[in-house]
Amino acid sequence: MEATFRITGLRKAFGPIRVLNDVALDLCSGEVTVLMGANGAGKSTLVKIMSGVHRLDAGEMTLGGVRYHPASPAEAIRAGVVTVHQNINDGVVAALDVAANLTLDRLSGKGAPLFYNPRRVRREAKAVAARLDLDIDLGASIADLSLADRQMVAIARAMAHEPKVMILDEPTSSLSSAEANRLFAVIDRLRQHGVAILYITHRMSDIRRVADRIVSLRDGSISGVFETKPLDYEGAVNAMLGRAMHLVAVDVKEATHPVFEANDLRLSDQSRPFSMVLGAGEVVAVTGLVGVGKTLLAETLFGLRRPLAGTMRLRGEAYAPTSTAEAIEKGVFLVAKDRAESGIVGDFNIYKNISLPFLERFSRLGVSRRGAERAVAREQIDRLSIVCRSERDDMSTLSGGNQQKVMVARWMAQPASLFILDEPFQGVDIAARRDIASKLRASAAGRTTLLFLTELDEALETADRILVMSEHTIVGEHRNEGLDMDRLLAQVAGEPMRGAA
Amino acid sequence: MADTAIRFGFLALLAGLIAFFSVSAPGFLSPQSAVFIFQSVAITGILALGVTATLVVGGFDLSIGSVATSSMMAAAYAMVVLEQNALVAVLFCLAIGALVGLVNGIIIVYMRVPDLLATLGMMFLLVGLQRIPTEGRSIAAGMTMPDGSTAAGTFSPAFLALGRHRFDFFLPNLLPVSVVVLLVLALLIWFFLEYTRFGRMMYAVGSNERAAELAGAPVKAYKIWAYVISGIFASIGGILLAARLGRGDIASGNNLLLDAVAAALIGFAVLGAAKPNAFGTAIGALFVGVLLQGLTMMNAPYYTQDFVKGAVLVVALVFTFALSNRSRR
Amino acid sequence: MSITRRTFSRLGLAAAAGLFAAPALAQDMPAPFDNPGEVKIALVRYLSTGDFFQAYLSGVEAQAKALGVDLRVLDSRQDAALQADMVDQAIALGVDGIIIQHGLTESMKEAAQRAVDAGIKVVAFDVNVENPAIPQIEQSDRDLARLALEQAVADNGEAWKAGYVYVAGIAPLDRRDETWREFKAKYPGINEVAMFGTLDNPIANSVANQARSVVTANPDIQVMFAPYDEFAKGVKIAVDEAGLSDSIKIYSADISTADIAAMREPGSAWVATAATNPAVVGQVSVRALAMLLAGEEPGASVIVPPTLITQADLNGQDIKNMEELSAKLPQFAHADVAMPAWMPNPNE
Repeated sequence: MEATFRITGLRKAFGPIRVLNDVALDLCSGEVTVLMGANGAGKSTLVKIMSGVHRLDAGEMTLGGVRYHPASPAEAIRAGVVTVHQNINDGVVAALDVAANLTLDRLSGKGAPLFYNPRRVRREAKAVAARLDLDIDLGASIADLSLADRQMVAIARAMAHEPKVMILDEPTSSLSSAEANRLFAVIDRLRQHGVAILYITHRMSDIRRVADRIVSLRDGSISGVFETKPLDYEGAVNAMLGRAMHLVAVDVKEATHPVFEANDLRLSDQSRPFSMVLGAGEVVAVTGLVGVGKTLLAETLFGLRRPLAGTMRLRGEAYAPTSTAEAIEKGVFLVAKDRAESGIVGDFNIYKNISLPFLERFSRLGVSRRGAERAVAREQIDRLSIVCRSERDDMSTLSGGNQQKVMVARWMAQPASLFILDEPFQGVDIAARRDIASKLRASAAGRTTLLFLTELDEALETADRILVMSEHTIVGEHRNEGLDMDRLLAQVAGEPMRGAA
Repeated sequence: MADTAIRFGFLALLAGLIAFFSVSAPGFLSPQSAVFIFQSVAITGILALGVTATLVVGGFDLSIGSVATSSMMAAAYAMVVLEQNALVAVLFCLAIGALVGLVNGIIIVYMRVPDLLATLGMMFLLVGLQRIPTEGRSIAAGMTMPDGSTAAGTFSPAFLALGRHRFDFFLPNLLPVSVVVLLVLALLIWFFLEYTRFGRMMYAVGSNERAAELAGAPVKAYKIWAYVISGIFASIGGILLAARLGRGDIASGNNLLLDAVAAALIGFAVLGAAKPNAFGTAIGALFVGVLLQGLTMMNAPYYTQDFVKGAVLVVALVFTFALSNRSRR
Repeated sequence: MSITRRTFSRLGLAAAAGLFAAPALAQDMPAPFDNPGEVKIALVRYLSTGDFFQAYLSGVEAQAKALGVDLRVLDSRQDAALQADMVDQAIALGVDGIIIQHGLTESMKEAAQRAVDAGIKVVAFDVNVENPAIPQIEQSDRDLARLALEQAVADNGEAWKAGYVYVAGIAPLDRRDETWREFKAKYPGINEVAMFGTLDNPIANSVANQARSVVTANPDIQVMFAPYDEFAKGVKIAVDEAGLSDSIKIYSADISTADIAAMREPGSAWVATAATNPAVVGQVSVRALAMLLAGEEPGASVIVPPTLITQADLNGQDIKNMEELSAKLPQFAHADVAMPAWMPNPNE
């Protein structure tokens, strides 16, 4: 089949750093091409060149056989190449309502009418929304929407351009599986309409669901193209990582003694109370869909909010933290979800980021001892194999995986009783993820490690025990050894709740 | 290369300016002249160091100028009208500064009023408040009170010494108290921000408040403290102003505010820090002082000085934002 | 000690507003002042904050009290449009006379004309409303500068190096500047080596910083002409800090209690100032209006003469504040301007 979009010999460097090297890529009409690549492989740069944000240094891009070198994102969109960016809030304007967002490009494009006519905008927005079966109040403010709904708005808007090529950059990373299914349905429809789709993702479940072809990118070069059915998923992962990644079989450990207990804990008004016991030396994963209360539970354990009812005990003593400081003091640490927003201090380098919560322990008479801070940071860099030049590097110079390792290192530097990680593998490539998981498991003795994970695969790869959350309560518990996958999936989907009710 | 230019560009510019004025303005290169430059920027410099503390936690304080003039009026009122001694007057001023800072902090942190608006309101409030006790009169020894009587107190000599005494330093009678206060406060706040854990946490709060909170920092307390520091520093500036002028002048303090903010913002560019920092603020204040001293010695009219101040600020901001952002990609 | 101060202050003019200014006997007065309780006048102000304007108001109040008339004070606080509205308000109040104190020609011209059309007598202080029916009360800035500079020539001879503090574009300073130019032309030996100045507040502090640079660059300056007391105050701080109090003399204009203290400091370089008493200007404003109301003609322009005040005067008579200055320098306390025989003197 003739390629709609073709890249040949593309090169791009930022200063001395070569990011893309002789990349060739074909996208065909009516086909979903999945682009896989570890963090730092050059996926984002490639997307930015295709969407007109960056200019290429060398090489050729053609669209429908015509030379295509967009000078700006607007030019790319006019040519028919639209991009839905990973950062959802880049795709919507929070100050405007849904209708205005859906028709935004028409407001500012050439030939747009001078006056803003709310009724016309509403009419056009309705048409755009209908195309995607979007069930969102058009008058709602973007700020009131969930991340998933915002994503749908951004995608719906991109589709309004009737694109020839559509680039989706990790579109499901913030979506629940029901919402992801809606997206996949839309992708199927686009495919029928003959749109060439470039789909960038880490998620194997997405890849299995949508991929017609898989292209693996490693260190700025294409390392493998897989298009013969059935697709060789293992091979694609191998090409991306450059080494064979076997499924990690967890060597399940038993807890030695209880560390943390919750009794009849209630997190929200309607939810059923639950109890749990977490023991020393075990890694427990709490899994469940987006929005079932995982973060709520993590924040309750860390003293950010109070439970509505119930009691908690830590190492045999009553535990009811009223502040994060108190939780930390008692040995409960949290690696929070979304490191950019709630973890990384951008103005600080690596060692200052690592020492942040325990600065008091690094200080004498209030004066921080930088030597000690740096020594601990170096130790952690070593321990977690963080790739950097030195402990004084800026966080912005690190890849996503390494940034996340710094966030974990921050809390691993001190002994914990209960070590909580909320979505620690978000935006982390598989290699870094396995690195972090193995370090967590290796250091698990003496504490409880509690992971909050939406991706079931991640839980299966890291945990000794898996708790399933649904509707703000714990609905199932599984030992990660010959577990009953059907039952677990049913619990994730919320069925036992209905059965029990 | 570009990194070096960003790091040392501003310091090189300062050295170049000093060299230029030394050649073209006779008498510029002398210990007295150097001390005078420090003296001329002492008060705005102290205010700038205070506002740096609020910038560090991601806030801003527009009330410093009026805190300084209120403190000046308070010092004069305490001594001239209430007939108190120097110590009481100084403590009175510091208490006012701390109280204003505390109120600013509480309004911003607990009432969630945006910092610019809260401190703008405080600025107006203080400009009015400082006039109430004397019904709009300036305060000087022997002044007539609103009720027709004459104020019996005077500025105590110990207080005036804060503005007039000079320490021997290499040369007799060289270093004025205000310069010593500036240097001590600059060292203190620099050490505090760079080397203590409290300073580090303040930077963390300013850079990523949520991350600091999740790391167990009492974010609200740090923010309030920043405004208290700013208020106290501004009141110290006001004390020195009162001691230098020997009276309590009705004034809005807007020029003090603008000069102080300019110094703190110029400080962003020093050593390519691209963030508020005490060393940069001190250099920023000095930079403005050197420029104004040199220009005045060369008989440049006053309006050129405002122009030059503005130009320096714009260049510094370009340095900070354009150049250092490029280096960070 | 405090009793003597009290006594002095009672003699003083600001306090005189309340205590010693008994209304003159009504039957000696021309109409309408034979029945002064029925006479209403209004003071419509543009500027009001600061010592000068406080003192001006006290003078107006003192003279109004001496006449026994009913005074209304309307203060627009530097709002030009509001000030014009306030004139209309005064017309509506049915006042007999209006004093317009400062303001902008553009905004006040029409309002003043409306008042005149309504049969109200109007005088204006320091604002030109371009109306022949309205007498102008003025303090003479040229005379102020002349008095100070004549003293400088008397003290220092006809040839000296001068530093000059000036900011262009401020009307009174511009008028004082004209006199300075005339003096420089008249005495070619006067050499202006530096000119500087700023109105950044606190003004004295900003001027002090500039003056420090100037005296460092020109340590041979003998005379500083700073024709505004805030300027002089700043120059004095700089001269003291530079340790040049012995070799530099400061001449200025205007005076306040704080200025008196600064001039009287031991070894002070500030040797003389020329000043018009703002309280006297206030009294003259009311008197000129009263003359109009009585059908007399004060003249198109009523000039309040300034007084030269030297450090020697202050020290010789141990004057510590404005009240004592008025009490001990009679020419400062009272100006024989707009003073017909029937007019009560508020200072007596």
